[in-house]
Amino acid sequence: MLLFRSEEHIELWCEQWHQSRGGTMSLDTCAKLAFDWYHDRLNPNGRRKTPEEAKGIFDALGLSGAFWSLT
Amino acid sequence: MELTFDQQVRNKVYELLLASGQLPSIAELSSNLSCATEEIRTSLRNLHAGKALVLMPESGEILMANPWSAVPTSYAVEAGGKSWWANCAWDALAIPAAMGVRGKMITSCACCGEAMTAEVESRQLLGGEGIVHIALPAKQWWNNIFFT
Repeated sequence: MLLFRSEEHIELWCEQWHQSRGGTMSLDTCAKLAFDWYHDRLNPNGRRKTPEEAKGIFDALGLSGAFWSLT
Repeated sequence: MELTFDQQVRNKVYELLLASGQLPSIAELSSNLSCATEEIRTSLRNLHAGKALVLMPESGEILMANPWSAVPTSYAVEAGGKSWWANCAWDALAIPAAMGVRGKMITSCACCGEAMTAEVESRQLLGGEGIVHIALPAKQWWNNIFFT
């Protein structure tokens, strides 16, 4: 999950490293995803998110479709 | 409810991380939890199997306790008065979120190397630009979490 300056730089990177283009999100969306996913990480009773919980987080941020499916 | 030994180890990992600024070694966990190193190794393997953290392939030491990385990466983070290493762009923005503080990601464009920074607090991006690219579909992330 790498940060790029622009879509053009993603295309160049994929070409240079012979990688298919994957999914993208804005830095703003990534900030929200980071909080929603990890804000309770240091809770002593913290546990791994269920696929349903993960889907709920992705869906709320508009990260939907086959690429974001965990199952 | 009483915590399992694996939960105690997991919590000690984060406790020592926040106190020292570095993910603890097996020896440090053994000393802090007053148990044998083999018990720690077994627990860490359990946590790795449960995807609660990621171990180095040879030594069995902790490589990732997401969102933190034990080793230097391209994603440095300043948060809570300390500097940290994150595993990726997502994790870099997650370290301040996990700590409940404002923080700054310091990195560079993965394509050209131009310096990039971003500041976050809670869910808000306070400054910074860019696009995060995820190479693998979500269901493949844990097939090779190091690449992911």
